[in-house]
Amino acid sequence: MIDLRHVSKRFGGHTVIDGVDLSVEEGEFVVFVGPSGCGKSTLLRMIAGLEEISSGDVWIGGERMTDAEPYDRGVAMVFQSYALYPHMTVAENMGFALRIQGLGAAERRRMVEAAARKLHLDHLLDRKPAALSGGQRQRVAIGRAIVRDPKVFLFDEPLSNLDAELRVQMRIEIARLHQTLANTMVYVTHDQTEAMTLADRIVVLRGGRIEQVGRPTDLYDDPDNLFVAGFIGSPRMNFLPGVAAGPDSVRVAGLEVRVPGLSSRLAPGQEVQVGLRPEHLTATEGVEVPLAIEVVEQLGAMAYVHGSLAPDVPVVAEWRSGRPRVGERVPLRFDPRDLRLFDREGRRIR
Amino acid sequence: MARRTIGQAERRFAALVLLPAALLLLVFRIVPLLWGFALSFTNANGLGSADWVGLANYQAVVADEAFQDALVNTVLVLSTLPVWIMLPMLLALLIHQGVPGGRIFRAVYFLPAVLSSVIVGSIFNVVLRFDGSLNAALKAVGLHPVDWLGNGWTALLSLVTVYLWSTFGMSVLIFMAGLSTINQEMLEAAKLDGARFWARLRFIVIPTLRPIIEFVAVVTTIGLLTGMFGLIYVLTAGGPGTATTLPEFLIWLEQGKLNRPGYAAAISAVLFVLMAGVAWAQVRIMSRNADL
Repeated sequence: MIDLRHVSKRFGGHTVIDGVDLSVEEGEFVVFVGPSGCGKSTLLRMIAGLEEISSGDVWIGGERMTDAEPYDRGVAMVFQSYALYPHMTVAENMGFALRIQGLGAAERRRMVEAAARKLHLDHLLDRKPAALSGGQRQRVAIGRAIVRDPKVFLFDEPLSNLDAELRVQMRIEIARLHQTLANTMVYVTHDQTEAMTLADRIVVLRGGRIEQVGRPTDLYDDPDNLFVAGFIGSPRMNFLPGVAAGPDSVRVAGLEVRVPGLSSRLAPGQEVQVGLRPEHLTATEGVEVPLAIEVVEQLGAMAYVHGSLAPDVPVVAEWRSGRPRVGERVPLRFDPRDLRLFDREGRRIR
Repeated sequence: MARRTIGQAERRFAALVLLPAALLLLVFRIVPLLWGFALSFTNANGLGSADWVGLANYQAVVADEAFQDALVNTVLVLSTLPVWIMLPMLLALLIHQGVPGGRIFRAVYFLPAVLSSVIVGSIFNVVLRFDGSLNAALKAVGLHPVDWLGNGWTALLSLVTVYLWSTFGMSVLIFMAGLSTINQEMLEAAKLDGARFWARLRFIVIPTLRPIIEFVAVVTTIGLLTGMFGLIYVLTAGGPGTATTLPEFLIWLEQGKLNRPGYAAAISAVLFVLMAGVAWAQVRIMSRNADL
């Protein structure tokens, strides 16, 4: 449905998007994620036609759209600020594109009401945006997009202005909407939880380049590099400094551990970063390592325990049984198969 | 008890610091206003004692052909209001769109606004008089010269045009300020909704700028009613006949030339009522937009 072919965006001498290649299949929900300034919103706006493309091509629905005007691309966009027209009612906001298309008032009303019912907005159609809550405004913004029945939905951090509870609700609504409409959706967020829960595929961006594209679980379990490993997952993956002790073993936190499943051989003495997720530190079996507990974040059903495996080796462990206490020294276990190794440049060693 | 004492002390201090401003307002605004209003019921001539004449001055004002002409001229001048709004708005829009040299245009448009009306009048006297540079230019391209300031219709039109030239830069700035407050994402949403330039202007920009448009309309109306004296004085002196006489100029004529302060005060009072009507409209418009 969407093909980005080596697209770049330069502002003056500064490259914001650097030769991105990406294909989004029809009906797919793709999430662009990355830290602030990584270019994810710019890339979305380039698809929408709101940013000129410095080089490369954008194809939508099999047509080259690189130079097409936004209204000719068959895309609808939901903005972070909602971008509703304050002087129009909800019905007028949702029906504006239809009015521009020249549809009659009765037909517009019918289509707007149909979209409003999907979003539980039918009782708000005569209100103005100022009289709506944040969640309602966001639903109107989504409704405005739905009414147009576009080929592609684009979402630019649509939930960032909502409070935590509403954000979760709206996240579920958007997921349901995607299941119902089955349209192609591209969604930008800096919140990796949103990305993990909504996406068919996640595109991790950094510095205007794609770091990795894949299904959420692939990115979580099998990151290509240190950046993706650290960005996907909350709390983030623990990174422990290690040294190769043999072709398939590393010395880390005072232990020598054999890492199973490595296809490449480590050079003895090679410096590596050893990645281990917090939930993998409390395995029932495996290599045992002592943890000096320094801080406990109690969340009720579970806790995050901050401590050190060795001097200058801080880690976070996910704790699901018992009540850990600050100052305790407890044995933790991890399965060596859960270790992820990265070289000095941050590339994954597989 | 202690709290009450502090409250009283605070109120006394507040009254004390407000007193100078209140006194200035009273002495230089309220008293002259009331004095002028009282004067309008007298036959004061600025020389001797003034006698109470009741509504005689107002009756004379209503019957005064010069005043009637001034009112007709005012209506004619105010009928140009759409130009005063549309021109600066479109120019501001072009600058806001980022036309090449936008900053230069903004400065150029605003420059005349800092010139006094006497200087502007003197400049355009050179341009518009019968042997002026505009007619020289017309003759150079084979057209007939026009007595811009000597013909009733062209004189008023010239006056309004010169005033427009000298003051519209301020409106451009106000519109630019208004345009800068429009949510860019809203305009982008309109683009994606299929609205091209004119549709965005009609359905999004103008309705969003409505409070600014109304503000410019009110301020411009006040300017047209009270700010053209300098230009009239320098360019046409109210003529030919009464073709360019506006109420404000008539007040000065009655007061300064004909030495009839009582009668001038009555015209002032009528102008004051007109202005109050504009101010009332302004307050009403603003409060109507408050819930937008």
